[in-house]
Amino acid sequence: MHLRKKILLAEDDQDDQDFFHDFLHEREDIFLLPIASNGEELLDYLASTTELPDAIILDQNMPKLNGLQTLQLLKDTSRYSNITVMVYSTSTDDSLIKRSSLLGATLVVSKPSSYKGYQRMIDELIRHL
Amino acid sequence: MEEQLTKSIESLEAELEELRHQLYEAQETIDAIRTGQIDAIVVNGSNGHELYTLKTADHSYRVFIEKMTEGVVSLNHEGIILYCNSQFASLLNMPISRVIGTPFQDFVPEENKRSIRRLFEESWSKDCKEEVTLHTCDLEIPVLLSLTALEFNENMALNIIVTDLTIQKRTQQQLETTNAQLAEMNHELELSNHDLQQFASVASHDLQEPLRKIQMFSNLLKNQNKEILSEESQRFLDKIMNSSKRMKTLILDVLSYSRLSANNNVFEPVNLNDITKELLDDFELIIQEKKAEIRVGDLPVIEANRGQIRQVFQNMVSNALKFSKPDLAPVIEISSTYLVEKFFDGLPQPDGPYCLIRIKDNGIGFDQKYQNHIFALFERLHSKDSYEGSGIGLSITKKIIEKHDGLVHVRSTSGEGAEFLLLLPVSQEKNKQHASAQEDLIGRR
Repeated sequence: MHLRKKILLAEDDQDDQDFFHDFLHEREDIFLLPIASNGEELLDYLASTTELPDAIILDQNMPKLNGLQTLQLLKDTSRYSNITVMVYSTSTDDSLIKRSSLLGATLVVSKPSSYKGYQRMIDELIRHL
Repeated sequence: MEEQLTKSIESLEAELEELRHQLYEAQETIDAIRTGQIDAIVVNGSNGHELYTLKTADHSYRVFIEKMTEGVVSLNHEGIILYCNSQFASLLNMPISRVIGTPFQDFVPEENKRSIRRLFEESWSKDCKEEVTLHTCDLEIPVLLSLTALEFNENMALNIIVTDLTIQKRTQQQLETTNAQLAEMNHELELSNHDLQQFASVASHDLQEPLRKIQMFSNLLKNQNKEILSEESQRFLDKIMNSSKRMKTLILDVLSYSRLSANNNVFEPVNLNDITKELLDDFELIIQEKKAEIRVGDLPVIEANRGQIRQVFQNMVSNALKFSKPDLAPVIEISSTYLVEKFFDGLPQPDGPYCLIRIKDNGIGFDQKYQNHIFALFERLHSKDSYEGSGIGLSITKKIIEKHDGLVHVRSTSGEGAEFLLLLPVSQEKNKQHASAQEDLIGRR
């Protein structure tokens, strides 16, 4: 089996951080990097590490730097611009989908509301890696 | 005989001489009249001496000028008013005697005197027109001056027709004010519409967050604590989950209804056959479950907003399946006719500008008296326990159809199925023009 895909999440909501960790940490095809609680923390983490993630999941609504702002900064930085980015949010409307894809997001999804939903979301993400 | 001839030649020559003289005199008279040397002649006519003057014509013109609704003024080279009609005097609200002999410039505001002087100078050599303001002690009068230099009592005079523009200006100003108010109101309306849409959008988003948590934790509770929970607790939990699900539907429907208010319609050719095919795939499970039969006729390609029209058909089919009779397999017929005009009972015409789409079912139907009710927001004819739904679906349908400049109607009898009629224009040309005209109005602000 090939290497686990390293996944980095930026999410400010404690419950959602827990769901993400609890539902996904047992999967053998992925490796969860420490969760950042907003865009700023995520960028700090990336700047401090030598091992970049294979995929980044950005919550849209976060303090300091929200999903789209973080996405733009990532895509504007050559070191990070090739990392696959997925934007997720409680409600995804056309405008969020449009803006995200314009900025270079690979996927835009609604936050899952079940264990199965989380698994499906990660399956979909891995298909794009 | 010869003598007679001679005589007649002589008399004819005399007559000729007399006529020549008369002709000469007549020409003299005409010249005199034309140059203004005389203003009356006496003619020895068949009824004795008669006095002919130019009064007839001259008088008419004097009366004409007096009665004109425009002011008339004549100025000499120095700009002194030699003559004016009473209309001009009353325009200035002064007696004629005080106007005649006064320099025209006395009625011109200080700041305009120079430009008026220049205008007068120019007018001596060619006809001019200009809008200016006159004033008297307490009055500012916008006027149009039409200036012509003409001979007047053997001297040249500058003749001016003065048109009072007060009413025109006032009307114009009122029109501008009204226009500005209208634009302002339009702008406010746009803002409030936008606010409302923002509000609905934000509210729906923020409402979804806690709701999702309720769903997540109910799921966890149910799955992970199955053994601990009493049967009653599990039943309560199911109720929480059902309510959450219904709330989710409500929020999403409110959101999509509010999004319809945004003026962002993008029209494209949409093949309704494709839309229906897609929907039948989506409904495959429930169609099988209910053993439903769906008969789809040949549907047209119309200009529409694809997502919105899809939603309309989805609502129609979903309703027809939902309100089926428990003991009867649903049969849903979807058919279409082109019509000549925007009228449900309009005449059919192949390639007509409108298409009438019928969605007919054999379900429970409803009393025709509720036909308008069912399109109202949050209106439901059945309790939510017997038929789920937000009560927004048909409101969304109606709004979408109206956004497409179409009409929606329903015919039903309780217990005998329902038939929805959607009347849609084939082309959105009119709608597009309307939208661009609106944009124009906003753009011009």
